[in-house]
Amino acid sequence: MDRTLKTRLEARLADRLAGPIRQRHDGTEIRIRPADMVEVMRVLHDDADLDFAILADLCGVDTGETMQVVYHLWSSKTPDWLRIVAEGMPREDPRIATLTGLWPGAEWMEREAYDMFGIIFEGNRDLRRIYMPPDYASFPLRKDFYLADDAARSPGGGVRHMERTSPPVQATPGSVRRTVRP
Amino acid sequence: MTTQAEPSQHRSEDDPRIMLHGQMGQYEQVPPYPPRTEREAEFYTLGDGEMFLNMGPQHPSTHGVLRVVLKISGEKVVDLDPVLGYLHRGVEKLCENSDYHHIISQIDPLEYVSSLFMEWAPVMAFEQLMDVQVPRRAEYIRVLTGELLRVASHALFQGWMALDLGGLTPILYSFIERDEIVEALAALTGQRMLFNYFRVGGVNGDLNHEFLSRVGDWMSRALVEHEANIGLLNENEIFVRRMRGIGRVDRDTALRMGVTGPNIRAAGVPFDVRRSHPYSVYPELEFNVPVRGANGGGDSLDRYLLRLDEVRESIRIIDQCLHEMPDGPVMARLPRLMRPRPGRAWAAVESPRGLFGTYVISDGTDQPFRFRIHDPSFVHLQLVGMLMKDNLIADTMAVMASLDPVMGGIDK
Repeated sequence: MDRTLKTRLEARLADRLAGPIRQRHDGTEIRIRPADMVEVMRVLHDDADLDFAILADLCGVDTGETMQVVYHLWSSKTPDWLRIVAEGMPREDPRIATLTGLWPGAEWMEREAYDMFGIIFEGNRDLRRIYMPPDYASFPLRKDFYLADDAARSPGGGVRHMERTSPPVQATPGSVRRTVRP
Repeated sequence: MTTQAEPSQHRSEDDPRIMLHGQMGQYEQVPPYPPRTEREAEFYTLGDGEMFLNMGPQHPSTHGVLRVVLKISGEKVVDLDPVLGYLHRGVEKLCENSDYHHIISQIDPLEYVSSLFMEWAPVMAFEQLMDVQVPRRAEYIRVLTGELLRVASHALFQGWMALDLGGLTPILYSFIERDEIVEALAALTGQRMLFNYFRVGGVNGDLNHEFLSRVGDWMSRALVEHEANIGLLNENEIFVRRMRGIGRVDRDTALRMGVTGPNIRAAGVPFDVRRSHPYSVYPELEFNVPVRGANGGGDSLDRYLLRLDEVRESIRIIDQCLHEMPDGPVMARLPRLMRPRPGRAWAAVESPRGLFGTYVISDGTDQPFRFRIHDPSFVHLQLVGMLMKDNLIADTMAVMASLDPVMGGIDK
C-alpha cells in the first residue's frame, strides 16, 4: 500500500475522481466516469511523477446493473498496481472511448471486451468479434447469459441462480438477479 | 413446431436454440463478407499485384490452432490478419460458475507448457481476498517448481524456434531436458503437464524423496547440458542469419503495445514482475534480470538469446531454493468452502511468456462474480502484423515463434 500515491493521485486528478481512492494489499483503486477516461489515462501516462508506462490489463465487467471497464497499470514510481474503474455505463448501450491512442496494444483487449460484453469502444478501428464466430449475436460473459450445462447438475444447482438451466437468452435489463454493488 | 424466423435471421446449425443475425452463408463468401470495420476494409482491399494466402488453422507450427490470413505481394508479406477463437472454451465463464478450488484445475490447460504459472496468479488473488498468510516453505516450493517449469518452457521454446526455421534436431534435445523436469514434477504432483498442484494457502503436498533426487540429479548437470544445447544452435550460420535483423521491436513500441516478459526485456526494458512488483519470496533470492537490445531495439535473435540467459538465472534460483528451503507446514489453515468477503483483487506473476494476471471480484458467495484472465501471448500476437511487413512468407512462422505464443492461453 503506497500512501504517497494516494496524495499524488488526489493532487492530479481531484475533480475527475468519481469515488474515494481505495487501497488494499498491493493495489490502489480509483473510480472515474467513462467520459473522463482518456484524459485521466493521459495524465497517468504522461505525468513525470506518475509515469504509468505499462498497461497490464483491460477488461470489461458486468455488475448486473451497469457495465464497467477496468484497467490495471504499472509504474516504476510506485510499488502498487493501479486499478482504474470506469463505471456507470448503461447495460443497454455501453460506450466508452478507445485507449488505442495511448496504448495501441489495447486494441485486441478492447475487441475481447466487445466480444464478451458488447461494450462499444468508440474509435477502435477494428472492433469486431475476436473469439466468437462473426455471426454470433449474444455476449457470453454478461450476467444474463446463462450457462446451461453440467454446472446445473452440481450440488449447488438450483440454489445459485447462475446455475439454473434456462435457454441462452438475449439481454433484457430486468432478467439479472445476481449483482454486486458497483 | 419451430417459430418462423425473421428474414434477416437464421437458426444456428450447431444449436437450434440460437438465432444468428444476417443471411445464411454470407460469411462463406470469398473475398469475405462486407467489411465490418475500418481495419477490415483496409485489409481486404487488394492492391496491384497482391493476393491473399491462408495459413492454418491446422498449420503444424502455429503453436496451437491459429489461422493467419496473409496479404502477399510476390514473396513479401504486405499485411496479415490473425483469426483467433479455434481453441476458445470460455474459461472465464466456466470459472465464474466454479467454486474457488475448482478454478485451479479449470485454468491449468490454458498455457499447457507452463501450467503452474496459470495456477499461481489466481491462487495469489484468492489469498488476497481471504487475507491468508502462505507458509514460507510453501512459497519456496512454489518458486522452486515454477522456476523448474520456466526452464522446461524455455527449453521447449529453443527447440520450437529451430523447428520453425526448419531444423529438426534441437527439438529432440529440448524434449530430453524438458522431460527430465516434467518427470520430476510428475513425481511431486502426479501429473506431467496439468499439475493442479498449487492450493489457496499453500501447495498440495510436501516435497518427496523421488522429486528431490530427480531434481538433484538434473541440477548436477543442468548448466552443462544447457551449454551443450546452446552449442548445437547458436553458432549455426543459417539459424543466426534468419533471425538477425528480423522482427525488430524497439523500446517505445514494446511499451505502447503492452508487451511484457522476455519480449519486452529483449527490447531493452528491464520489466520483470519478479523484480518490478515482487511477489512470493523473490525479494529474498539473488538473480539478475537479463536485458538485450538496449540500443535500437531487439530482433528475433535477441529474443531467443534472452531466453537462454533466463535459463541460467532460473537455475541459480533453483539452486538457492534447494539450499535455503525452510522447514514448516506447506498449507495454511483454511475452510474447505471458501466464501471470501466482497472485494476485488488483482494478482500478476511472471510466466515464461510475460505478465500473467488475474482480476477477481468476489460477491461473498463461493464462486467469483467476475474472473478475468490476462494472458501475455494474446497481447504479443498483435505484434506479428506489425513485424511482418516487408518480410518473407517463410519468416512469418519464425517471427511468431520468437514471440513464443501459446494458443491455449490466447484463445482461453
